[in-house]
Amino acid sequence: MPDSIERALAAALTDACYFGQILIRKAGENGFVLCHRDDQGFDGLRLFQNPEDAIEISKFDDIENYRPLKTAPNLSRGWQLAVVDLSDLRRALDYFYPGRLAALVAWKENRLKTTPLRQTLDRQSGMYRIAAKISDAQINSLVGDFCRSDGGCLRAILWKRNESGIIPSTKLPPEKFEPAHDQALGPGPTTAAIAVIPLLCQEACNLLVAAARKVVKGE
Amino acid sequence: MENRQTTSALLIVGHGSTVNPDSSAPTLAYAAEIRRRHFFVDVACAFWKEEPSLRDARFFFDDSAIKEVYVVPNFISEGYFTQTVIPRELELGGRITNRGNGQTWKYCEPVGNDSEMTELLLKRAKEIAPEAPAGSTTLIIAAHGTDLNENSAGAAKREAEKIRKLDRYAAVLNLYMEEPPLITHWMKLTDTKNVVVVPFFISDGLHSYEDIPVMLGIAKKRSALNLSAAARDEIFRQNPYKIGNRSLYYASAIGTEPQLADIIIKQVARFDCGSEGSLPTS
Repeated sequence: MPDSIERALAAALTDACYFGQILIRKAGENGFVLCHRDDQGFDGLRLFQNPEDAIEISKFDDIENYRPLKTAPNLSRGWQLAVVDLSDLRRALDYFYPGRLAALVAWKENRLKTTPLRQTLDRQSGMYRIAAKISDAQINSLVGDFCRSDGGCLRAILWKRNESGIIPSTKLPPEKFEPAHDQALGPGPTTAAIAVIPLLCQEACNLLVAAARKVVKGE
Repeated sequence: MENRQTTSALLIVGHGSTVNPDSSAPTLAYAAEIRRRHFFVDVACAFWKEEPSLRDARFFFDDSAIKEVYVVPNFISEGYFTQTVIPRELELGGRITNRGNGQTWKYCEPVGNDSEMTELLLKRAKEIAPEAPAGSTTLIIAAHGTDLNENSAGAAKREAEKIRKLDRYAAVLNLYMEEPPLITHWMKLTDTKNVVVVPFFISDGLHSYEDIPVMLGIAKKRSALNLSAAARDEIFRQNPYKIGNRSLYYASAIGTEPQLADIIIKQVARFDCGSEGSLPTS
């Protein structure tokens, strides 16, 4: 029986839709075919058939650099993954964009708790404790660069800078905080030609915390 | 063990890495293997330094059929991560946490605490040095150790004590990267012809590919993580290393043994056998 994530995924899927940089198309009665959205219609893609193949596909970018942030806009191209059913699609998407489907379902059900950046930083211990010393101006600059959709991360930011509800960076366009916007298209009022399943960010990731630490240490 | 297919989920927690592409691979593989066995309604992973994060995992297992979530740290020892980071990030209040949605999250012991780790260490040591007679061999369990948590070094110490009592090896030492007795001093601390070194880590990474080999004097610093997987693994394939009149055998990380999937499941069974209670303090 499909679980809540599979049910929500089924409801969000259209014949073709984007999830980050992935194009998902329905194929046959129950199956799905995935590829990089910029590879649509290309011949000669490497074919994969196992949801676990998504682990290796998403591990390195096109120049073989390790991708520690899976929602960075550097998913490799040249592959096509066919999965047999909704359950395998969910598994594959969980490898491509780990945790994002669960966040989406929680958001749709109004139970996604967001955490202000200051709270995330204040909670740290050990080597990351020092990250809390970052100034508001430094946060504005860091988040504006680190999280930007063109080159940083494709998630729509739902968290605030602090408990007063200030946006984390004035350097990011308003669309960056808008779940309905297709972040892979870049800023501006353009809309995607096909449906988009959003990648949501409810809390600053460990990579951003590590980057804040570096700012404080002047590295 | 009892089939938990109807009401229980499993969350395997790993460290992960922002620089090492191999760090999460064993944890993901164990999750896939356990998923195939259908012991649980759902099996997921979460990582400290990779995605999905520990914070993300709070939103997993939403299905109303799931009554219990077992959290098993795929860590080699009780320490800073198991006692500070994981409970804080997952918002666990102790060994048992009752969530607002009616779920009970059960925080199990790390895999490194399992008694089978001793067998895995002995197996790995024998595999890499089959021709070295144990009676003229020192077994070194090489672990991290840290001043962040006094228990970090404890698992390696405990394993060394257990193997010492078996009286198979001429000597058994627990040496550390960041606290005494240091791996760097292995030559002074051993006097046997053969020395077998097994890294007590949950996955191969910078520590096993490069840091420990440099400390042992069998490799130069070379940014191992920029090498291909085959080139990185070469360090485990050149045994024995001849250093003076010594033969040194170097193994890959103990946590890459496939039996770890069984040990993860065992932690769940152990929890239900009564190991619950408050978290050990750091």
